[in-house]
Amino acid sequence: MPCDRAEKRALIFAVALVAVAFVVSCCVGKYPLSVPEIFTIISGGQISDIKRNVFLTLRFPRTVMAMLAGIGLGMTGSVYQTIFKNPLASPDIIGVANGANLGAAVAIVLFGYNTLLTASLSFLSGLLVMLLVVSLVRKTNQANTTTYILAGIILKAVSEACIMILKFFADPEKELAAIEFWSMGSFGNITASKLTAILPFFLAGLAGIVLMRRHIALLGLEDDESRTLGVRLKLIRSLVLSFSTLMVTSVICLSGLVNFVGLIAPHIARLLLKRVSFASSVFASLAGAFILLVSDGFARSVYSAEIPVSILTTFIGVPFLIYFMRRGRARRA
Amino acid sequence: MLRLENVTAGYGGKPVVRDVNITIERGELCTLLGLNGSGKTTLLKAVSGLLTLDSGRCFVGEMDCTGFHEHRRARFISHIPQRHSKMQGVPVLDVVLMGRNPHLGLLDSPTKKDLEQATETIEKMGLIELIDEDFAQLSEGQKQMVILVRTLVQDTPAMLMDEPDSALDFLNRHRMLAKIRDLIHSQGKAGLITLHDPNFALAYCDRLILLQDGSVIGELKMKTATKDSIHGCLALIYGNIEILEHGGRYMMLQGSG
Repeated sequence: MPCDRAEKRALIFAVALVAVAFVVSCCVGKYPLSVPEIFTIISGGQISDIKRNVFLTLRFPRTVMAMLAGIGLGMTGSVYQTIFKNPLASPDIIGVANGANLGAAVAIVLFGYNTLLTASLSFLSGLLVMLLVVSLVRKTNQANTTTYILAGIILKAVSEACIMILKFFADPEKELAAIEFWSMGSFGNITASKLTAILPFFLAGLAGIVLMRRHIALLGLEDDESRTLGVRLKLIRSLVLSFSTLMVTSVICLSGLVNFVGLIAPHIARLLLKRVSFASSVFASLAGAFILLVSDGFARSVYSAEIPVSILTTFIGVPFLIYFMRRGRARRA
Repeated sequence: MLRLENVTAGYGGKPVVRDVNITIERGELCTLLGLNGSGKTTLLKAVSGLLTLDSGRCFVGEMDCTGFHEHRRARFISHIPQRHSKMQGVPVLDVVLMGRNPHLGLLDSPTKKDLEQATETIEKMGLIELIDEDFAQLSEGQKQMVILVRTLVQDTPAMLMDEPDSALDFLNRHRMLAKIRDLIHSQGKAGLITLHDPNFALAYCDRLILLQDGSVIGELKMKTATKDSIHGCLALIYGNIEILEHGGRYMMLQGSG
């Protein structure tokens, strides 16, 4: 659909803001790099091996990952709020995040803390939860959105209970701490190889959503109305859910749970843009990327140890949301 | 054009409408009249595929649409619901373009032609100054007009409408129904509409179909109707009534005494 001029300007501004946050985020950390140094590394100039390694194997992949996570969570949150017709929906509404958390906890307690295994198991269990939700809905033969949310609540509760069992039996010094830390999220151990491992899944999910963008607004209608407009509800909704789940799980299987971004990024988009269209989802993903780039920048620079990123996303996200709530109200008045 | 053959449908295996046979010609607007719970809405839902038929078939032209999936059926049958979705923040043009969905493939975007068609139809219906407005901010009358435009853009041979006038005031109700009648006549569609108020049915429709307890109990062609035939027919549903005639138009009143 055609964007109007104000919308275009807002999008360009948001892209610029994310780009700045990306560059700044590349610089900060325990081992600070300056912008000229980064240029030298990219252009292949003379620079110490340490700096080159820090940038190429750690700093750059980590920053990219934080940005992708923000894009994924913001986009998915925006899509979910539309298709579940619920402004409180976030990517974990159908229990995917809790499923991923359970997978990680299983890997930590039963198989020792192997990062690759933890990521793979949480990725698979996140997807498994999505499949269970879809098949549970199919079993009840009532494909309305409430059924999806109820199925999500059921699987969320079951995953939580299983996580509690694992926590109960976990060794409190190491395993319990690792489970807790995972559920607070961190981009601290992202490396280039991990990033390239999840990238295809993330891009597949993102591409799917972009290709199916026209259907998102249609799924936001009342079920009967969208069906009489020719939407094959079960099929299309399952596809959109699968793509968005793919995008989110591919991110959080490495980062752990990241709070709040998926919820507030779409609200920021809605309050800033007058109209609702796919542009709002794009805007939500940019807002998510910005919040996570800033949060992760702080996470690795304000304290001698890494701070879990969910703490920061909440404290950075809340003032944003309050500001935009006030602004939105002022404009409506 | 639209032909229902022995349609039986309902919820959870309990039939609400039973063995309904209706044929509607091109350019004919028919009203389903009946009291609450007589099965009007259920019948429309069954025809538009929202309910699976327990038995019977449903044809548009020569095409048997009974087993079609939503995307395919929506090219033959459109449905204006009693209540439309809120669509907060969605511009009118985007709402209208949703009507093109049945004509687009899974990954297609609306083409330039779709866009032109939508804009033209909006213009023809006198809504061009609303094209960029937020749908949710429109008045109820304007919203219902936009939904009608969306249905026109969907461009189906059969049009079903479930009390499209229920949220409208007196003037808008007349405007809306006159528009629907003219469109059905000029574009040669088969229209099936449910209305609560028999007076609007008498004023705007070509044929009345009376529904009671899920079955068709009578029919009335307005062209050949007389005061007496209208009375006889509507009394089947509404009981004690009087029919007035005024300048070739009829009106139903509740009977006195």
